[in-house]
Amino acid sequence: MSEQGNVETLIVLQPIAVDTGSPDREGMLVMANGLLVAVLVRLDASEHARSGAWFIEAGLGRLAGRRAPVFDTLEDATRWVRQCLRG
Amino acid sequence: MQQALTRKLESFEPLSDQARWALNGLTLKVRQVGARQDLIQEGDKPDNVLLILDGFACRYKVLPDGQRQIMALLVPGDFCDLNVFILDEMDHNIGTISACKVVDVPRKAIDEIAAHHSSIARAFWWCSLVDGAVLREWLVNMGGRAPGQRIAHLLCELLMRLEAVGRVTDNSYAFPLTQTDIAETMGLSDVHVNRTLRELRALGLIHLKSRVLTILDVERLKAFCSFAPNYLHLRNTRWGERRDLSWPGRAQEG
Repeated sequence: MSEQGNVETLIVLQPIAVDTGSPDREGMLVMANGLLVAVLVRLDASEHARSGAWFIEAGLGRLAGRRAPVFDTLEDATRWVRQCLRG
Repeated sequence: MQQALTRKLESFEPLSDQARWALNGLTLKVRQVGARQDLIQEGDKPDNVLLILDGFACRYKVLPDGQRQIMALLVPGDFCDLNVFILDEMDHNIGTISACKVVDVPRKAIDEIAAHHSSIARAFWWCSLVDGAVLREWLVNMGGRAPGQRIAHLLCELLMRLEAVGRVTDNSYAFPLTQTDIAETMGLSDVHVNRTLRELRALGLIHLKSRVLTILDVERLKAFCSFAPNYLHLRNTRWGERRDLSWPGRAQEG
């Protein structure tokens, strides 16, 4: 899933409910050039210090096993995903 | 304070008054180290054997991307590698988590006390073997248990280890680890640790406040993570009579 030439990887987010075994259930499927590469989950306000932030619940392919920071915005998360796929 | 080592060794086998007295001689020069300080770093040449008398420390490595992995927790009475001076250089770091009381035991003192007191020599071997056993159990924990059971197992282990050195009161013990420390110990994210601790609280298994952990129902927590304390080889949890046979003559020396 790397960039080819000057073609930017197309990242598409699709809302999805996620069972995390916790109140964190608002999620986004992250697709890069049509392939699912990660599932983002929004941290619930009552449960976490950084509520409302986005957490990489699961990473696939090149994102598998990567420990990621928690992101303030979806844009930050998308930027991180893009960087990982590029590197 | 100095009893932590004696208590730990005695949880393996009884020590004579002479042996106890000799052990106290190892812990004369105690130094206070602040929290989050390195005691020895990867690449350093280890001269002395470090002994933790109070507080929590850990063994850790830092990966090239800055991520830290904690491979062992060191609690009162724990040596930071009893025979480390045999090696040329440290292959990992040892740092404090909370403020610690630490003793630097010269290698000569270790050699001498082990030569003069065979019960202590055996207890030292036991320390090293148990360190290895704990590491094996941690591998099982990381590779084979779900996050909830994994953290519960660590909490049960700390209960047993701290109880052996008299640091547990009413199933409560000092717990200076942050959620990030737990994450770095258990190979989990901070978010997963947060969720898991909440789950254990919601199940009525633990209470964590002001850096004190209380296990509300020890038997239920042990059952929750299938905790078997055999790998700690504590005297009160194992096959006492059988090993008496394996050490003929142990009654004579001190």
